[in-house]
Formats: sequence, structure tokens, C-alpha cells
Amino acid sequence: MSSPQRPVAPHSYGSQRPPAAVPIGPVGAIGVDEMQLTDEEVARRMSWLEITADDIANLTSIRDVARGYAAEVIEDLYRHFLAFDETRAFFRDEQTLRRVKAMQTEYFLRLTEGNYDREYVRDRLKIGAIHQRIGLDVKWYLGAYNFYLRAVGSRLMRAFQDDPERGRACYFSLKKLVFFDIGLAIEIYLTTIRRQEEAIRELSTPVLQLRAGLLILPIIGVIDPTRARQLTEQLLRSIRANRAKVVVMDITGVPSVDSRVANHLVQTVEAARLMGATVIITGLSAEVAQALVLVGIDLNRIRTVGDLQGGIEEAERSLGYRVSRVEA
Amino acid sequence: MSEISTEPLVMPIANEADIVAARQRGRTMAIELGFAGCDGTLIATAISEVARNILLYAQRGEIILCCVELGGRRGLSIEARDSGPGIPDLRKALTDGYSTSRGLGLGLPGSRRLMDEFAIESEVGRGTNVTMTKWVR
Repeated sequence: MSSPQRPVAPHSYGSQRPPAAVPIGPVGAIGVDEMQLTDEEVARRMSWLEITADDIANLTSIRDVARGYAAEVIEDLYRHFLAFDETRAFFRDEQTLRRVKAMQTEYFLRLTEGNYDREYVRDRLKIGAIHQRIGLDVKWYLGAYNFYLRAVGSRLMRAFQDDPERGRACYFSLKKLVFFDIGLAIEIYLTTIRRQEEAIRELSTPVLQLRAGLLILPIIGVIDPTRARQLTEQLLRSIRANRAKVVVMDITGVPSVDSRVANHLVQTVEAARLMGATVIITGLSAEVAQALVLVGIDLNRIRTVGDLQGGIEEAERSLGYRVSRVEA
Repeated sequence: MSEISTEPLVMPIANEADIVAARQRGRTMAIELGFAGCDGTLIATAISEVARNILLYAQRGEIILCCVELGGRRGLSIEARDSGPGIPDLRKALTDGYSTSRGLGLGLPGSRRLMDEFAIESEVGRGTNVTMTKWVR
């Protein structure tokens, strides 16, 4: 019986990173709550792994056996962790080691306690998120699971020496649950990576105001449909916020311009025009220009100027600015 | 020219990143083969056009890059293969501005202009196979 507010141990791995220093926000961290799965989703995953009521009965039946060898398994596991530089780095001192062992024990015992519900999922996601946050690569994480299964498997077989059939059944049930956990952990790793990519994308298209009415949009990197959409949205928002009349869009840093990308650019330019702003595109290399002409892109509606400096000069001219050197 | 691999390189296409990878790989191979930089860009553009079509119409497929040699001339051959819905009317598909996906309709005719040789086979319900080659000038 798990109450909805089942307290979760304050997970903070490694003394080098106290809980207060854990980054909060869209970059790096992912709220476990936003990944919370619905009951149906949990059930669906369980049925994919063929976790049945029998499995749950198997798991809870070995609770006491598991308690018996928990300490040994954890010791084995940490001996393994400490034997590799990459994993040892996470345990700086005795105190940290003691704390994570206690948490590991808690994780381990939870496997045979039944109630594999949303709260269980939440707990597992949280553990995955912590490992992702401290920077433990997936390969070490998965390797540890393999070690886990092996360490538990041999002990389980020994405990069921007189009934190997039963021992095997329990082991398979445990394996299913462990794979359920692994799935959740990998998912949170991937979700975090996706989130970071989105954040980087957003950061990579700054719209800068150079003068009143004049915006600069330097684009660096690949333009895919998602980024093109973000770019257009951001530009249109900035045009409105800054009451911009002219935008210089520099694509020197875009490595691949094909008909699709050119189409995105044309559409962005058109949308900006409807908002009352003229777009000047700069940085179209001679090679890309040649390729676009061969492909058959109609760039007539787009104003292009060779380089960024030329683009800014033209923009200033059309806004009525005259830049002159102050004579000494 | 023993350092140039003639082993075909198969690159799966299933998402945006795969297109970028295929196009970058194609450009590198082209430069290694002795293509001028601007031809490298033309080849890379053609690769992304056909790879884009795979993603757009068949969701997945592959791009096969291969260095070829004929009569002392060296070239880069690109094959785009998918088991997608196929193209019912090839003549239309090769016409500028014809598109069934609200695109510019320049992918196939554009690729044809970018390369020296271009061939397409397609069967409705079976898939599409585009083969194109560009020769080092």
C-alpha cells in the first residue's frame, strides 16, 4: 500500500555536487513530474514485458531471500564500481560511498516489494534523472544493471537449490522488472538530451537589434524544419517587439542549403514582409548560389547582399542612416 | 588511386540528421576524389534533395555512395533507395514545380540538373530507386 506522497529519499549522489548545486531549469535538468506516465502507459509497458500477476507474486515471494543477500550484492557491486576509474570518480569519500550504498540498498529492496505502480515509476525515473545529471554515461549505467542481474541470479539459484525451477521463474520475473527499470532510465536520458538540443537550438538563433528599426539575425548550423519554424517565429516576434523595418539575415554559418532550406528562407522573408519588414539575406556563398540556381529556386523575391557588412550598410541606407567618420 | 575506397558506402536515411550526415559524407568523398569545391556543393545539394524525398515520401531508405571509374574518368555515384509508395507518374515527377507534398517540386528535376547522369526507377507500392553520377572534370 503506497500512499500518493510516498517519501522519496533525498537523492544526492556524490559529495562533489550538493543538492543545492543541482541545475534547475530547462537545460540539463528534467522534471520527473513532466515525464510522469499515466496508469495506462505503465500497464502497456508491463504487458509489453509480459509482466503478469504471477511475476509480481514471484517477486514479492523472494522479498526475504533478497533481504538476505542484499548487503552482499551491494558490496560486490561497489567493489566493481571502485575498480574502474570512470565509475570510481563518483565516490570521492567514505561518507558519499556510505550514502549511495544505502540508497542502492533501498533501490534493490524495492524490486521485491510489489506495488509497481505510478509511484514506483516516479521513483525509478528520479533515479535515472540523478544518474544523468551527475554525468554517468549510459554504458556504465547499463553495465551496472548487467552486474546486478548476474550477482542476484547466482545467489537466487543458490537459494533455490532444492527447487531450481522455481528459482529460474523468480529470476525471469526479476529480469522483466529490471528491464522495465532500464527502459525508464534510458527514456529519461534521451528526454534530457532532446531537451538540451531544443535549448541549444533556441539559443543558436539570437535576434539582435543593431539600431532602431534594424535587426540582425545570424544563423549558424543546420536548418531543419523544426529550427526553421522556431527561427521564423522568433524573428516575427522580434520584428513586432522592436518595431523593426529591416532585418539582415546572415547565413554564412549555414553548412547545407538545399531547396527545402531555401524554401524556408523564402517563407520567412515573405512572413516578415507581411509584418512590414524587409529582409536582406547575406552570406550566400558563390557555390551555394550556383547550386540553388541549378536546382531552380526562384530567389527573385529575396534581396541578397554578398557579405554581412554590405548587408548592414544597405539596411542603414534604406532606413535613412548615414554613417560617416568623424574627422579629427 | 589505391587510397580511394571503391567499396560502396551505405547510409541509412530515417531522420533530418541522417540527411546532413549523408550530404557531408558525399561532399568529403567528392573532394577526396578530386572534385572542385563548387562541384562538391552541387553533389551535396543533390544528395540532400534525394534524401529529403526519401524522408518525405517513404519515411526511411538509404543513400549509397560509391566511387566509380570509367574509361580513365573518375566519378561519384549516388543511389537513393526506398521501399516507399513509389511514383505513379515519373514524367510529372521530373517536371519543375510538380509536388505532391506542398514542396517546391524541385527535388528530382533539380537533382537531375546538378548531376551529370540521372536515372530513376519507381514502382507504385514497391519503392523508388534514383541513381545519379557526377564525373570529375
